[in-house]
Amino acid sequence: MRAGQAGLTTRLYVGVLCGAAVFAAHPLLAHHSFAMFDTAKRVTMSGTVTAFEWTNPHVYIELDVPDEKGAVKHWSVELGSPSILMQAGWKFTDVKANDKITVVLNPLRSGEAGGLLVTATVRDGRVLGNGPGRVGGQP
Amino acid sequence: MNIRVAAFLLLWCAGAAHAQPPPDLSGVWAPYRPGRGADPKLNPPAPTPIVLKAQYAKPYEARRAAEDEAIKRGEPLGTAAVQCVPYGFPRMMAVALYPAEIIQRQAQITIITEAFSEVRRVYMNQPQLPIDEVPPGYYGHSVGKWDGDTLVIDTVGIKESVLGYQNTPHSTQMRITERIRLITADLLHDQITVEDPVVLEKPFTYTLAYRRMPNYKMVEFVCENNREYLDEKGAVKMKLRER
Repeated sequence: MRAGQAGLTTRLYVGVLCGAAVFAAHPLLAHHSFAMFDTAKRVTMSGTVTAFEWTNPHVYIELDVPDEKGAVKHWSVELGSPSILMQAGWKFTDVKANDKITVVLNPLRSGEAGGLLVTATVRDGRVLGNGPGRVGGQP
Repeated sequence: MNIRVAAFLLLWCAGAAHAQPPPDLSGVWAPYRPGRGADPKLNPPAPTPIVLKAQYAKPYEARRAAEDEAIKRGEPLGTAAVQCVPYGFPRMMAVALYPAEIIQRQAQITIITEAFSEVRRVYMNQPQLPIDEVPPGYYGHSVGKWDGDTLVIDTVGIKESVLGYQNTPHSTQMRITERIRLITADLLHDQITVEDPVVLEKPFTYTLAYRRMPNYKMVEFVCENNREYLDEKGAVKMKLRER
């Protein structure tokens, strides 16, 4: 994302939600422990997609996120696998490079710029979760 | 009706019932997770306890404690999954929500699980090989036969590095017997009994349940974008991209 495009419409929010944010659904998603992510925290951010990788063992959204001053930070967001996402209603075309999207994620405990997707608000306004039984998913 | 005619009819009916073709298990099946209000009769029975011999129980418990501790720290210990190595049998039979496809032919039943595209081939109505003649691998050597409406599969030859149910260890002498049968037209149970005279004090049994997924098309799974790695402390980390 070029910084000029970024500043106008996108903002970075950091919200921390505790308590109820322990997701029983995580073990259903995939093949590794999710302990590297802080599932008690939720961070909301908006930015421009630089890549959407519809791959195994996980799908990734690469996101350029500008702050209020227009400085851009890059985030890598992990999703479930294509199979698990499709069971929740996703299509491989739901996100594309250059889309402006908003994601809620559980950040890495290490403080690095990465996280596990909770929900994504995609370009047509739909809110998609990260697996069946989550927001936007099928039970 | 005299008694001889009655006896003949009874035997004939029993014979006819016995000669019925086995049920067709072909199709795609997903792990069944009973929701609220689900019929308890469809639930798989509870597993029996896993009792390891003392010399195996100690390291197993120690590893479990270390894993729990590492997860609390947020630095999960590495498993085969970090290298994107498949699960192997029997863990492949229950991976999260991933479905399994059964292709049933008279001479061979093939089971393909979606996560990692793992494949088992079950050779029907053949004698099992002696364990020591099967090169240890991820799927071993499986033979099957029908016991009425139940498919009975015998598997030997699983590599020691391929961990079992609940990550239990096993020896090359492990033998796994499955009894697979339809509970309803759309619900399948796979009762799995693990015997291992070297590692286990006694066999244990657990049952997996699957629901039919009509018209589901199996999704490919090639582990091409594995971003997990182990850091110098042996903790699982995620590779991040630069801009």
